[in-house]
Amino acid sequence: MSDNTRGVFSLIIINKAGGLIYQREFQAGLRKLSTNDYLVLAGTFHGVHAITRSITPKIPIAQPTPSPATGTTGPAAPGYSYPNPGVPVSGLDYLETDKFRLTCFQTLTGTKFLLFTDPLTGSVEGIIQKIYELYADYVMKNPFYQIEMPVRCEAFDRHLGAWLRGRT
Amino acid sequence: MAVPPRHATMQSISNGNTAQGNDRPPTQQSQQQSQQSPGLRVPSNRKTIYDRHLNRTRNAELSRASFAFLFGEMVTYAQRRVTGIQDLEKRLNEQGYPLGLRLLDLLFYRSTSTSSSALSSSSTSSSPPNRPLRIITLLHLIHGPLWRLLFGRAADALEHSVSAETANEYMITDNDPMVNTYISAPRDMNMLNCAAYVAGIIEGVCDGCGFETKVSAHNQPTELWPSRTVFLVRFGDPVMEREKVLERAGIK
Amino acid sequence: MEVSKPQCPFTGTEKRRPIDFAAASLLNLRLIGFIHMRRTRVDKVNAELVTLTYGTIVAQLCQDYDSNYQDVNKQLDKMGYNIGMRLVEDFLAKSGVGRCANFRETADMIAKVGFKIFLNVTPMVTNWTSDNTQFSLIFEDNPLADFVELPDDGRAQDELWFSNILCGVLRGSLEMVQMQIEAHFVSDVLRGDDTTEMRVSLVRYIEDEMPPEEE
Repeated sequence: MSDNTRGVFSLIIINKAGGLIYQREFQAGLRKLSTNDYLVLAGTFHGVHAITRSITPKIPIAQPTPSPATGTTGPAAPGYSYPNPGVPVSGLDYLETDKFRLTCFQTLTGTKFLLFTDPLTGSVEGIIQKIYELYADYVMKNPFYQIEMPVRCEAFDRHLGAWLRGRT
Repeated sequence: MAVPPRHATMQSISNGNTAQGNDRPPTQQSQQQSQQSPGLRVPSNRKTIYDRHLNRTRNAELSRASFAFLFGEMVTYAQRRVTGIQDLEKRLNEQGYPLGLRLLDLLFYRSTSTSSSALSSSSTSSSPPNRPLRIITLLHLIHGPLWRLLFGRAADALEHSVSAETANEYMITDNDPMVNTYISAPRDMNMLNCAAYVAGIIEGVCDGCGFETKVSAHNQPTELWPSRTVFLVRFGDPVMEREKVLERAGIK
Repeated sequence: MEVSKPQCPFTGTEKRRPIDFAAASLLNLRLIGFIHMRRTRVDKVNAELVTLTYGTIVAQLCQDYDSNYQDVNKQLDKMGYNIGMRLVEDFLAKSGVGRCANFRETADMIAKVGFKIFLNVTPMVTNWTSDNTQFSLIFEDNPLADFVELPDDGRAQDELWFSNILCGVLRGSLEMVQMQIEAHFVSDVLRGDDTTEMRVSLVRYIEDEMPPEEE
């Protein structure tokens, strides 16, 4: 397990509105960013992600869809749709330089997990999935956490750190 | 059983009458609803609580997440109506209290229901008396059977104050209280321990047994157990006096 | 919030001693505690603790709202909504399911996966309208209401929806995945009805959020 998590530099979480709600470094490897730069990064990535999603081409659909309810699926032309009607497609999934890779996982609720890793780090998807589970446990189930607000949950920090160090 | 002091003023809860219980007869009486004119309506298949075995859910399990979300929302709701940590813990304690009263009956019922004598009126003579008379027996019941019923394991330690002035103080330790698993209190509330809910349950059990008690939950973290919690059980003076009398009489 | 909680009087080990019977098994107990922690991934709790906890929540509301059951229903729905907004992340993270293609699929997902995970029951999905926007969930079993009897005050059976928190949970969680719905109970065995039925209606799919300047 520690093999999988080697090369994980840092994590940021972006809320639905594009605000930075969590940022944490796990190991050295990248130069430090100021808090302000992180905020800018979060907002910029959020915007770029939305644009990349909006330019994703629609694919023709074989048969007329059973009209999904009151049909507010946007300006989709008849006969064309995303693979699932009324469903947003994914946007930018990752960015890569020769020193690091930035992987984005957007949940169906619109929260984004951005993980900075070494380009050679494997199974990044599995790592992000585990982070999402820890988030569901130690952030979402904490009554003192207010949705969409910055994440300050001691148990989340603790379990995240412990898991990434391969201890639990 | 003698009515404990808080019993009458407490709201009774789910598996019984849901609203003010003071002015209505015990739930058993609604079994005769056919004779009562107001009464409760029942489904035509008569799927009422009286037709289901009380041990039906004995070993049933549910998602820990469901508990966490309900408990979390209880904390959030309570927090909106209080002014401080002490107030919040008091409210959580009060919400746990009726569970203690009910769980006590359930524990007795289940500890005797395996023997047929439980149903006979002479059960007190044919089976060992199961209502604790002494403090140690009571605490043993809480530390073991109650904890196992609620959390699937015994509590981690049980201790008694050695100081003569605080001889009425006992401590039950849980290294990792299930109710606090997902909870991180904000830094400015680091004294808060939401296991005050469990403290209320303990208080209900003690009161139901006729031991007037105040129970509070305290954070006592160690490096290995960051959410280690100590439940401080303080018995009232009448209990301590009775304890001396019982000790002299050689009652266990 | 200001700290006004009394300190726990014992902080050091010197001021307390283990009780005799416990001392003998102290080592065992610590070990059990440790093993227990290793096993918590099982993620289950005693069902009675959940049932009783929900019961004490409803009872508290009845007290706080002076047995005004309409207000209690509303508050339960609100609490459920708050839970739903959080619970959906747990659902998505642990189940790993993707987005549903249509509302019929959503209904099945709610009944067969959602209720199964969180309440260990599988309500029946039925009574669809012809435009596929409304359905009913029929509950054979409802752990929240196990061993519950409503107050015999002549009103509760006509006014209180004991499990109303579930309507809010559906509303909150579906809203987070871009579906605005309406949910309410139409019958409940606690009221003397033969079934417990919740009616769920799709109001609309919520437009996916775009950068504000484009709206």
